[in-house]
Amino acid sequence: MSAIWIVAENPDWAAVMVSAAKSVSADALLTVFIPPLPADGLWEDYAPSLVAKAKAEKPSLILVGTSKRGRDLAARSAALLDAPCFSDAKNLALSGNTFSCDTNVYGGSAVRSDSTTEPLVLATIGPKAFEPDPAGISGATAGTLDYTPGKVKVTGRKPRPPQTVNLGEATKVVSVGRGFSEEKDLAAARELAAALGAEVSCSRPIAEFFKWLPEECYVGISGQIIKPQLYVAVGISGQAQHTFGVRDAKVIVSINKDAECLMHQNADYCITGEWQAVIPALVKAVKA
Amino acid sequence: MKKIAVCYKWVLSDADIRVNEKTRELDMEKCKPQVNDYDRNGLECGVQIKKATGRELVGITCGASVAASAKDALSRGLDAVYYVEDPALAETDKVGSAKVLAAAVKAIDGVDVVICSEGSSDDYAQQTGPRLAALLDMPSVSYVVKVGAGGDAFTLERKLEEGSEVVEVNAPVVITVSPEVGDAPIPGVKDIIGAKKKPANALTLAGIGISPDAVKPRATRVSVLAPATSRRKQVLNPEGVSLDQAAAALVKQLSADGIL
Ligand SMILES: Cc1cc2nc3c(=O)[nH]c(=O)nc-3n(C[C@H](O)[C@H](O)[C@H](O)COP(=O)(O)OP(=O)(O)OC[C@H]3O[C@@H](n4cnc5c(N)ncnc54)[C@H](O)[C@@H]3O)c2cc1C
Repeated sequence: MSAIWIVAENPDWAAVMVSAAKSVSADALLTVFIPPLPADGLWEDYAPSLVAKAKAEKPSLILVGTSKRGRDLAARSAALLDAPCFSDAKNLALSGNTFSCDTNVYGGSAVRSDSTTEPLVLATIGPKAFEPDPAGISGATAGTLDYTPGKVKVTGRKPRPPQTVNLGEATKVVSVGRGFSEEKDLAAARELAAALGAEVSCSRPIAEFFKWLPEECYVGISGQIIKPQLYVAVGISGQAQHTFGVRDAKVIVSINKDAECLMHQNADYCITGEWQAVIPALVKAVKA
Repeated sequence: MKKIAVCYKWVLSDADIRVNEKTRELDMEKCKPQVNDYDRNGLECGVQIKKATGRELVGITCGASVAASAKDALSRGLDAVYYVEDPALAETDKVGSAKVLAAAVKAIDGVDVVICSEGSSDDYAQQTGPRLAALLDMPSVSYVVKVGAGGDAFTLERKLEEGSEVVEVNAPVVITVSPEVGDAPIPGVKDIIGAKKKPANALTLAGIGISPDAVKPRATRVSVLAPATSRRKQVLNPEGVSLDQAAAALVKQLSADGIL
């Protein structure tokens, strides 16, 4: 593989992609682009400039950080370059002129492996898909992209409110799902969490639709991916998109009134029953 | 008349996927086709923009077997559906499907607002909206959670990892929405009956100028396998065991596992 390009919003992410690039080809020529955020335009509007450069210089692989902006820029660039793009790619490899990689499908229920001999491939790379290269981006050439303002005007930006919990650090987590029908019912889950010394997390609908917990509290493929020692899922059905986020937990407990639920299939220990009855019994047993 | 086109994907419901424990292959036999969950929010967003701007609202889909989707989609507030059904689309990827959708948009007179949802429940690759924008040479605004529309002017709020971004743009535009843009109501009996009277128009690949080569997959699928799991799946309260006993057994287990 001759040249690999890396496009990121910041150097940390670029360093992750340096590792990704080296996993594909140890001696590839790396060029890193970290175009600055325009004051009143979209970062994604660097796409035409990237495309023009790529048409002229013909890299064989373009890696883009899988932020939302990165996804948009990668997809637009891929369309203009008439090239395939693999979203959230892992296990990238090159053998001869065949490029292959894995992507998650069906909400993380399965991994799809693809291979291609296309002359140009794009892939987006998650922030934790690879360990950042120890040398950072120092070994790569710094590239620049011109910015031509697009038709979209940015009139305001607001940083997200500071995070109140750090699930990533928690060793024990009690997680609630739609088995809880009212916000005040969460008190029971909090009581169990307190008894266990655990943080409280949730499934996506609890955070996104009901907004009972902040968004950084929901676990799953589009939320937090965590590796606690203990994960207790209460009233969570266990759809693949959710369980993807706790695949690497050491022990998973499922409490659900439905004996057939998928969460039970993805747990080490299951108690079938309504949380209204199970939680008090569990709190008592933990405190005993 | 100006039109809003909402793209939707007719996907198999992933909730009914079962895994063959031996081969790790997916068993999709129980999965029924449905309008991709996220696209339901996209369709509802189209309904709201129609209300605000008076545009006509059409749906577009493509695939190997999508004609049956029209009734369902039409019950979600669309005035008409255009679908491209062709066996050649069975294996097509994002490169091909975006070309087909873009060509369909161009084939429908007057579309100046295109709506996609951020992803589909099967691949969730999150490429179609931005790809369409590029192919149609329209501005792309993705991950939109709030839409303010009046005439041709749109004020859109995007939700990104680091916070939110408010943008202004005029039609023509491709808007890719996240689910928070608004819940999709479940169609009522009236909507379902009404859907039968609305037009479902078949488009052909040749008719919209797409060659068979353009939809050939650009990568070969080597395998689709569920990761191996090694969870114990031990039910602690089989019949005859009380919840108190099960709770005590769990605490004992967790201590034995070195967790409590
Ligand atoms: C592209 C995409 C991405 C997604 N990403 C995520 C993600 O990152 N994270 C995520 O969580 N979801 C995600 N989802 C949504 C996911 O598919 C599920 O819809 C969601 O996880 C379901 O949440 P839930 O288990 O809380 O609710 P439900 O599926 O409604 O399950 C509720 C459960 O509670 C049980 N229950 C009800 N009452 C009681 C009671 N009294 N006691 C005990 N149990 C009870 C029921 O038996 C049921 O199993 C995504 C979906 C899509 C399409």
